Amino acid sequence: MNKRKGFSGETLYKIFIYVVLIIFVVSIVVPVGWAFLASVKEKSEFYGNPWALPNGFYWQNFRDAFEKANMGAYFFNSVIVTAMALAMLLVTALPAAYALSRFKFRGRSVLRTAFMGGLFINVNYIVVPIFLMLVDGDKLLKQWIEPGSPLGNLLNISSGFLLNNRFFLALIYAATALPFTIYLLSSYFQTLPKDFEEAAYVDGSSNFRTMVQIIFPMAKPSIITVILFNFLSFWNEYIIAMTLMSGDNRTLPVGLMNLMKAQNAAAEYGQLYAGLVIVMLPTLVLYMCVQKKLTQGMTVGGIKG
Amino acid sequence: MKKALSLGLAAAFVLTAFAGCKAPADSTSNGGSTQKKVLKVAALESAYGADMWREIAKAFEAANEGVTVDLTISKTLEDEISPQMKAGNYPDVVHLGVGRDAALTETMIKEDGLRDLSNMLNMTVPGESKTVKEKIIPGFLDTSITNPYSDGKTYLAPMFYGPCGLFYDANLLKTKGWDLPKTWDEMWELGEKAKAEGIALFTYPTTGYFDAFMYALMYEVGGVDFFNKVTRYEEGIWDTAEAQQVLDIVAKLASYTEKTTVSNANDSNYLKNQQLILDNKAIFMPNGTWVVGEMADVPRVEGFEWGFTALPAVGDGDQYSYTFFEQMWSPKEAQNPELADKFMAFLYSDEAAKIFAEKGVGGAVQPITTASSLVNDDLKLFYSIYDNGAKAAMGAFVATEPVEGVDIAKSVFGTVDSIVSGDKTVEQWKADIIKASDALRGALK
Amino acid sequence: MHKQKGRGRFAALCVLPATILFIIFMVIPTLQVFWMSMFKWGGISSNKTFVGLSNFKTLMADENFLRSFQNTVLLIVVVTVITFAFALVFAGILTREKIKGQNFFRIIFYIPNILSVVVIAAIFNAIYDPNQGLLNSILSLFTNVKEDPILWLGDQKLVIYSLAGALVWQAIGYYMVMYMASMSAVPESLYESAGLEGAGRMRQFFQITIPLIWTNIRTTLTFFIISNINLSFLFVKAMTNGKPDGQSEVFLSYMYGQAYTNSSYGYGMAIGVVVFIFSFALAAIVNAVTKREPLEY
Repeated sequence: MNKRKGFSGETLYKIFIYVVLIIFVVSIVVPVGWAFLASVKEKSEFYGNPWALPNGFYWQNFRDAFEKANMGAYFFNSVIVTAMALAMLLVTALPAAYALSRFKFRGRSVLRTAFMGGLFINVNYIVVPIFLMLVDGDKLLKQWIEPGSPLGNLLNISSGFLLNNRFFLALIYAATALPFTIYLLSSYFQTLPKDFEEAAYVDGSSNFRTMVQIIFPMAKPSIITVILFNFLSFWNEYIIAMTLMSGDNRTLPVGLMNLMKAQNAAAEYGQLYAGLVIVMLPTLVLYMCVQKKLTQGMTVGGIKG
Repeated sequence: MKKALSLGLAAAFVLTAFAGCKAPADSTSNGGSTQKKVLKVAALESAYGADMWREIAKAFEAANEGVTVDLTISKTLEDEISPQMKAGNYPDVVHLGVGRDAALTETMIKEDGLRDLSNMLNMTVPGESKTVKEKIIPGFLDTSITNPYSDGKTYLAPMFYGPCGLFYDANLLKTKGWDLPKTWDEMWELGEKAKAEGIALFTYPTTGYFDAFMYALMYEVGGVDFFNKVTRYEEGIWDTAEAQQVLDIVAKLASYTEKTTVSNANDSNYLKNQQLILDNKAIFMPNGTWVVGEMADVPRVEGFEWGFTALPAVGDGDQYSYTFFEQMWSPKEAQNPELADKFMAFLYSDEAAKIFAEKGVGGAVQPITTASSLVNDDLKLFYSIYDNGAKAAMGAFVATEPVEGVDIAKSVFGTVDSIVSGDKTVEQWKADIIKASDALRGALK
Repeated sequence: MHKQKGRGRFAALCVLPATILFIIFMVIPTLQVFWMSMFKWGGISSNKTFVGLSNFKTLMADENFLRSFQNTVLLIVVVTVITFAFALVFAGILTREKIKGQNFFRIIFYIPNILSVVVIAAIFNAIYDPNQGLLNSILSLFTNVKEDPILWLGDQKLVIYSLAGALVWQAIGYYMVMYMASMSAVPESLYESAGLEGAGRMRQFFQITIPLIWTNIRTTLTFFIISNINLSFLFVKAMTNGKPDGQSEVFLSYMYGQAYTNSSYGYGMAIGVVVFIFSFALAAIVNAVTKREPLEY
């Protein structure tokens, strides 16, 4: 008797859990799926019930988004900027994190504290000073290099070299991601036993070779985590990109933002949702490919930027 | 080894990308040492579309040998040109009016960044005999918008104008047998009748649209004198009976407002409020003539027919309609001021006005004496409003030095959201306005 | 001895590039924020006037700023409490119970986190629509919202909670997946012995799971609060832009409004300074309050 009662309570508990979990799944899948469906709706369908299924596949939205709303060019920019930023981030953060966690040298604790403090700096309010700094830099460059000269033309001095340049946008992305990345990597490096390096030194391996050939391969899981997290944040970032980039150099989220905020002009819902999908799809695909690695690597640092 | 290689590759990739990535970026800059003159024009892509600007640029290039017009057209023009201007790259001519959310034009006014346009106004319109000043409809050059510093000089040139007022479905009123209200009292009567049928009397896209509405209302209640005192932040003006009447009318209208309006009264969702008119869920909304083009492709109830009226009169006073116009200006730092003047003067020629009227979606109308003959029949309905007895209201709050934390438009118009939702009383509203008005008085230029 | 010197030089070379980038693009701009907060400047022209601390004085009396402060704090509290409570409980359930399709749930729950805020904003605009939105459509099955729609983004008392909903939605899965990872590292034997002693699920959760992953919770909590200030701004900017009537304004959106649209750049930077100090203070407080003796297993 007693046992049966306990059993049914257990079943109820299980059912309750499943119901809650499924509600949660639905609350995620339905809106995201809806955005996909909306992207193939025709203009007139947007004024009916927004939750109705599309009448057909209206791919013109994507064509319009790529051509009219320039999302094709923005997509290309986003890819380039994200790739460059990731490369620069790894090249600078890996050695720094390694040295900070495995070496004793003067100023180490100061640097560590400084990078930790950097975690509290909010990119959104330093973006304008960064912008002004680039402006001043451009003005200086104009004084040094004649705008009409070959070098001036090469660097595009007349309309600004530092500003509106994808390389510098990527550099700034990399720089602002440093505190988080170094924090995450060094906490991983700290857990590695010293034996590996010592064995390498005995074999006569240089510091550099030890770092690149022994340590970095061992840190692969956390490096992958770093790449994934930063990929997501670089790809989705829009405040810095909005401030620094204009015209054809914009990135995807900024282009999307412009589609959303078109005041006093006919709304292009089709293009908007197509744009939404264009921004979302790469991250979703990447996530599906690496979700295992991503969720595994999460215990490493335990935070995100 | 493999790791070192991949790191090296990554570095090489960065370098090549660095070298390669500037190439496509400078399509807009002039190659430096060419003979050609380049005029940089930045224009807001409003409801009239972008095509008309391209046509204008072509026409100007055709008329001026060796001149290239470098055109920036964008729906969010501020995001395009504001960083560029801070970086020292100023356009020569900017078509962007006051009253936008980003308030770039207001910033330029506050910062004394605009060029005096007196020379341009005295130029003869290219290919014609009159000067620009003579051609512009009288009154447009005497407003606090075009002459923001009240020093008799014009810094912002008036562009496409149109009456603002209340838009509605004429067919709805016809089929229901309701008369178009001529006074506010008739308006409230209609409100009650409509309520009985489940239709709201009023909706608005965003509170930003209350500027034209409340300016016209101020003219109705207290005439031009009262309006000028309000817009110049005169002390005690908000304690007068006239001011109270303005606020009371808006507050009463707020009680007749469609209940979901506030929820969608933001930049992302305001079209849903305009849709209420097309769906016959609300009768009136304050708007401008561009709304017809803006909502052109949208489904609507059968028999829908745009109607447009000036604001109902107060008692037996006059009905007023606010004349909305966009503005164009030239920054002080413009590289080609002469050419900029020539271009701006060209925009007031019959040739240009024709392009605007024909290529603009719905037809953009220049404020020149000859423009009305170019307007198509649909638009005549709107522009005839002044012939039918409505008076024109013009002007706006005058520019001041920036005051930290004080924004008069937010205090006066933005608060309407709170009145509609009942979160603020008229007394609180008034107190807010008085506070902002007092703060700005000291910062008048 | 020589080797020691070589190591030092190597370490210096390693940290140099990162340090330079960090100083140029983070330290100097932050100092700039502090410096500019003492000027009156419109943002475009070259006339800057030094005004000392007057911007801060104005700030303390600025009701709109105080409201944005309130909203920020409210969002931090509400979003943090809900996110963490749910994330921990769900993670606990998913790791401890034998749930079919665990992996499936984990994959799905993580999705909101990888979406751009702009995308989430567009989605939530559709969910919160008063007439045809998903939420009101569902509620209309039970109540009378057809007649009297709930204005998720229009009701001044509600709008901040609606924003909180979007914030929770995007954060919860991430933390759940993370706690699942750390909870699965807790040795099974601990639960077994607790089970033998008769401890129920609740007691096991509070006396074993939570204490053992406490360090993890503590770090994530601190950083969640900081990133919340940032995220709430991104959501406000993309969803309501402070409307209605400034009721959904938060710290950074108000800062942007002042710096750009009200031509009060220095004033905006003064807000930036306040946000900076506030973040630091809050992190310190959270850190102190959550301090416990770490448990080993």
